[in-house]
Amino acid sequence: MRALNKDTIVAILLLAFCGLLAWSSLHIRLPGYGTLKPSTWPQIMVAVLTLFSAIYFVQSLGYARDASSKEDGRKPGVSGFLEYFRNPIICFAIYFVFLATLPWTGALIGGIALVFALLTVLGGWGARDLVRHAIYAVVSMGFMWTLFTFGLRVILPEGEIFSIR
Amino acid sequence: MEHILAALAEIATLHTLLLMSAGAIAGLLAGAIPGFTIAMAVVLALPFTFSMTASQGIATMIGVYVGGLSGGLMSGILIGIPGTPSSVATTFDGFPMARQGRPGLALGLGVWSSFFGGTIAAVCLIAIAPQLARIGLEFQPWDYFALVFFALTITASLAGKSLIKGLISGALGLLIATVGEEDINGVSRFDFGSDYLQEGFAFLPVLIGLFAFSQLMSDIRDPAEARRSLAQTGDIDIRIEHLKAARIVLSKWKNLVRSSLIGIFTGILPAAGSSISNILAYDQAKKASATPEKFGTGFEDGIIAPEAANNATAGGSLITMMALGIPGDIVTAVMLGALLIHDVVPSPSFITEAPVLAYSIFIAFFFANFLVLFFQSIALRLFVLVTKVKMYVLAGIILAYCGIGVFALHNIVNDMWTLLIFGVVGYAMRNLGFPLAPMILGVVLGPIAERWLARAVAISTDMSNFITHPWSVFFLTLSLFSMGFGMYQRDRGKKRWTLYYTPLMVLALTPAMFMMEGFIRPGIGIVMLIGGLYALYQAHNKAAGFQPAAGGTPR
Repeated sequence: MRALNKDTIVAILLLAFCGLLAWSSLHIRLPGYGTLKPSTWPQIMVAVLTLFSAIYFVQSLGYARDASSKEDGRKPGVSGFLEYFRNPIICFAIYFVFLATLPWTGALIGGIALVFALLTVLGGWGARDLVRHAIYAVVSMGFMWTLFTFGLRVILPEGEIFSIR
Repeated sequence: MEHILAALAEIATLHTLLLMSAGAIAGLLAGAIPGFTIAMAVVLALPFTFSMTASQGIATMIGVYVGGLSGGLMSGILIGIPGTPSSVATTFDGFPMARQGRPGLALGLGVWSSFFGGTIAAVCLIAIAPQLARIGLEFQPWDYFALVFFALTITASLAGKSLIKGLISGALGLLIATVGEEDINGVSRFDFGSDYLQEGFAFLPVLIGLFAFSQLMSDIRDPAEARRSLAQTGDIDIRIEHLKAARIVLSKWKNLVRSSLIGIFTGILPAAGSSISNILAYDQAKKASATPEKFGTGFEDGIIAPEAANNATAGGSLITMMALGIPGDIVTAVMLGALLIHDVVPSPSFITEAPVLAYSIFIAFFFANFLVLFFQSIALRLFVLVTKVKMYVLAGIILAYCGIGVFALHNIVNDMWTLLIFGVVGYAMRNLGFPLAPMILGVVLGPIAERWLARAVAISTDMSNFITHPWSVFFLTLSLFSMGFGMYQRDRGKKRWTLYYTPLMVLALTPAMFMMEGFIRPGIGIVMLIGGLYALYQAHNKAAGFQPAAGGTPR
């Protein structure tokens, strides 16, 4: 049996997603008022997406298997994927940690830590790099925090640890 | 006149002009940096506008927009890499001229062409948009829905290489907009029992996630590229030759006016945009020139045409946005979203209902051209400084700013999670070849379409209203052709059927014209009928001896 290409897998995922939404749209509460039901528009959209996804699926069956990875010089397999997308994956993970810890660290401390971590991961771990990144992080986040707090009067998240917004 | 004066009083204040100046400088820089798009710059400017009035906020974003269009010429001329797709054609002659030791003149020609192109477009915007908007007063809910439906079909034109992926992207955008509590009945949809989903996705975090976050991830994907400076400019000490350049541009007024009109017309067409207009204007300038062989060698006309056209396109896009309430391109889609944030619902009656705000936008666009001209020299120095910064430093800081910026919208952390989620979604879509512009269009226009459909159905459940109201028929017919526009673009010159596309569209629109009241519009219908039949006859004759361009087969 021929292995599935990337587009076919995406099309299958989209069709599964459409199935989930179609099921969910059947459970939308119908109020006794209004002429256009709250479920009508989403159901039309789900039908449209399902149709497009089905066309995409059929089209994808004719595509060659993952030519893109050869084109962009990526190694095959999971390790090749992780190596190729290393930077974005780490950045997303750091951002996730930043948001998860925001209630404790707050916007200022958390933001400084975020910028420092991102710069260090992307730019290097050398002693001079660390100092430079720390300066960039403090100055940039300090400026943003001041601008939003005092200039735009935005109450940024206050951290429990230091109680600094 | 009183509205214009009231709008002038809003815009011509020191505070607003300062905000617009900041926007213009930011736009010039963002436009100049390869890898940064104008849409991204406008999106990132959005959080700053929350605390402003609607007119100040939109004026600031117009500053960014016009600045971005002009900024692209700096990197295009100095380093040969266009800062934005709207400056691609500028590099054809701008870069050779700079290499011949005339960078100051090349920049001057670009700057002044942009200025004149933008100013011509601003005059057209002020003259055309209010006239066009009068038609909007005749619209009923069926017509409004048909109009928004037409705007949604533009997704086919924005699809790029893969039509089906563009359509899926647009449909996903429409579905994203349905998540959470709906406006009409307050019923929650697709919440799966989660409080977070019940709130729905706010427009801004979705937009910043899809456009800015995912773009930054693409910029830092390659570790070596991420550690490189933004551009290798070296130490540049150039003085823009303003006086000489302005004289040359004015002496080539035919090219200037023609290119500006091409830009305006392209901007009015939904989904066309400045990335097309600059190349189109360059091509027309070359065809009209007595010395076409000089193009590509550092020829003055080769800089004037694309730069006048790309700035004029902004005026054209704003005409569509202001008069019909539909986005002409992705930047105006963002601006429509910004208007929604300020509780202004864009629609064809917008100019009539909010004349001061509408005229503020016109005047802001007019002023923005002057500000950009004024700040170009300052931005050039800043550009040289910014290009020495490494990409990862800029990306890291902007990522943090994205988070703080979206938090400022509603002061809730959930919006920051939305940013992350759509950052991942946007990045995945980019890598899988799905265009993001149709998705944005879906997110912006989905709720508007549903609202008008609900109003139409509330008045009458008789669906024949959609084919008995002339404007509804007009837009639905246009939608049919718009859906096929992507294929038309792809096959134009390669397949025989494309010869019939325009004549058939004109003929198909005539019934709607005949259904309209009075004498003028049915009269236009008769002209369209005769013109369409003649064009069809000509297309038939051409089809007989049709020779497809390279890569095409006649069909």
